[in-house]
Amino acid sequence: MLINEGAMGRNRRIRRLGQAGLWLNPMVAYFFLWAPILVLVLFSFNSSRSVASFSGFTLKWYSNILNNVMGAESAFSTAIMLNAFRNSLFVGTVATAISTVLGTMIALAMARGKFPGKRLIDGLLFLPVVIPEITQAISLAIFFKVAFDWFALLSGERVFPGFHTIIAAHVTFNISYVAIVARARLADMNPRLEEAANDLGANPWRAFWRVTFPLILPGVISGALLAFTLSLDDFVITFFTSGVGTTTLPVFVYGLLKLTVTPEVNAISTIMMLISTLLIGISLAMQGRAASRV
Amino acid sequence: MATFDVELIDIVKEFESGGARVRAVDRVSVAIEDGEFFALLGPSGCGKTTTLRLIAGFEQPTSGQVLIRGRAMEGIPAYHRPVNTVFQDYALFPHLSVEQNVMFGLEMEGVDKKAARKRAGEALEKVRLPGVGERKPHQLSGGQQQRVALARALVKQPAVLLLDEPLGALDLKLRKSMQYELKALQRDVGITFIYVTHDQEEAITMADRIAVMSEGVMLQVGTPKEIYERPQTHFVADFIGETNFIPGALLGRDADGYGRVKLADGTVIRARLSHALGNAASAVSVAIRPERIGITPLGPPDGSGGRHTPLDDVTVLDAVVTGSQYIGTDTRYTLALGGEAELVARLQNTAERNAALQSGQRVKVYWKDSSATALDH
Repeated sequence: MLINEGAMGRNRRIRRLGQAGLWLNPMVAYFFLWAPILVLVLFSFNSSRSVASFSGFTLKWYSNILNNVMGAESAFSTAIMLNAFRNSLFVGTVATAISTVLGTMIALAMARGKFPGKRLIDGLLFLPVVIPEITQAISLAIFFKVAFDWFALLSGERVFPGFHTIIAAHVTFNISYVAIVARARLADMNPRLEEAANDLGANPWRAFWRVTFPLILPGVISGALLAFTLSLDDFVITFFTSGVGTTTLPVFVYGLLKLTVTPEVNAISTIMMLISTLLIGISLAMQGRAASRV
Repeated sequence: MATFDVELIDIVKEFESGGARVRAVDRVSVAIEDGEFFALLGPSGCGKTTTLRLIAGFEQPTSGQVLIRGRAMEGIPAYHRPVNTVFQDYALFPHLSVEQNVMFGLEMEGVDKKAARKRAGEALEKVRLPGVGERKPHQLSGGQQQRVALARALVKQPAVLLLDEPLGALDLKLRKSMQYELKALQRDVGITFIYVTHDQEEAITMADRIAVMSEGVMLQVGTPKEIYERPQTHFVADFIGETNFIPGALLGRDADGYGRVKLADGTVIRARLSHALGNAASAVSVAIRPERIGITPLGPPDGSGGRHTPLDDVTVLDAVVTGSQYIGTDTRYTLALGGEAELVARLQNTAERNAALQSGQRVKVYWKDSSATALDH
């Protein structure tokens, strides 16, 4: 056996170093990504009110927000917070329902239809994903103002912003997300399956409900969960399109911040983040399961 | 009336492709009889699958008519046609169980659940796949999925079953056994099969009749024997099996359907004339199958070689052996004719003929004139 043992040992060391580097790389990247959020979560459990040091674990900030207490301020009301949360759920549910139906229909038209300008519409679908949220928010605010002015001019009735404007605004950006996810699902689907259904005597309507819809359903649900999460989380667009008495949870939290950053705000933020993460997790799991089934 | 199950009358199908119109099916007319096993054979892109899809109703012809059992199919959608399809990739519904897949067509007809379940069970038994009804398609092997696809189509008892390369995805051994099984099944159920394949051997062993297609045109329709032994065009002769093509010039046409062809070295031979050969044609190819060629070594100078006495209906030519290849049952010889023409001949390795011919050896090659066809160059 004439193998150069020194060279072998050196190779092994280099390989081990490489492995360590491959492990370190995502760790550093994830640290940048998650460190701020980690700090927020950590300090929502900090027994000291100061963010200078972590002095011990406590759940008292979580119990405070449920008991009308918020630091030195007495302006905080659990009832108002819960009402804002209810508003968020209401807006999210209605906007998601509408955008899921419309988004799925658009995805179907894009995947199966043949019409002029299809590629342009396809590209426009990504617009709400890429344009700055503030641009969209301002444009929606102006649009509603103009529309309501025209309406007042024509009918003599004055309409004010409220839940309907927030929901309409949320639908505009949610449609894109639902359509993109459902579209990906449709693209994965074997087009022969619909032909097979037709071949076996199913008209297009029955073929859709018996074959196409069950197969894209995981994608549709996944898109709906994504839309719901985006609705719950949205601040900018909601802020610009809301009226009186329509405060959603993110808008409410923003209001709290105007006073001061307190551990209670950290606690609320942590709860919001948990809900969103859970929903997105379910959404991704649905997409994964769906992909493995085709 | 219903002597023909499927009739295609002057079918043209054009597709728009990058601004240009591409003709996928070019003036195809054919009549397929009730209970026939009919193969559409050709290389990929020849229009055979498009032809099938026109019958199924997935595509509409640009012009021409599709008749099924004498009824014009224009404006009748796929879901109202009395045909069913076995797709190349099976297209089983992944979210439904095997049984639900097979019951799907019956459910669409409004057959009640109990009767549908019974018929689905029978169909699965017919394709020799009982006891898998509860499983999902992805839990089955490729061969089993193929059987489910068959059962799903057959359970509808269609007038015509359309099969699009149904064995294409299976491995060679399974394909062979499925060929026999499919043929037996077709005899058993008595349904007309229209079978698309690019595999000439598959078409020859299974079909009652074959239509050979190329570039959208149906070149020749006939029994496997007619297609193999009497190819009417260069393409058909070349696509099916191995063929020698000897170039020559057509000198004249005889009354018996034969022509006289002058080869490059000046020899004049006789061959059957293809029906597809134009009247003005002068440059032709003489097509002859390798196994139809006999070889005799030149005997000693006294001429006791025996066989090469000139006969009226036999062509005898001088040749030189240029190579030989032992392939088990046969030996495959390459030979040079006068005038640089090359020839391949296959001789069976019988007990008497075990002494191989040597390269460079001068021989006589011969064949019956009826084995040779003069067709387009």
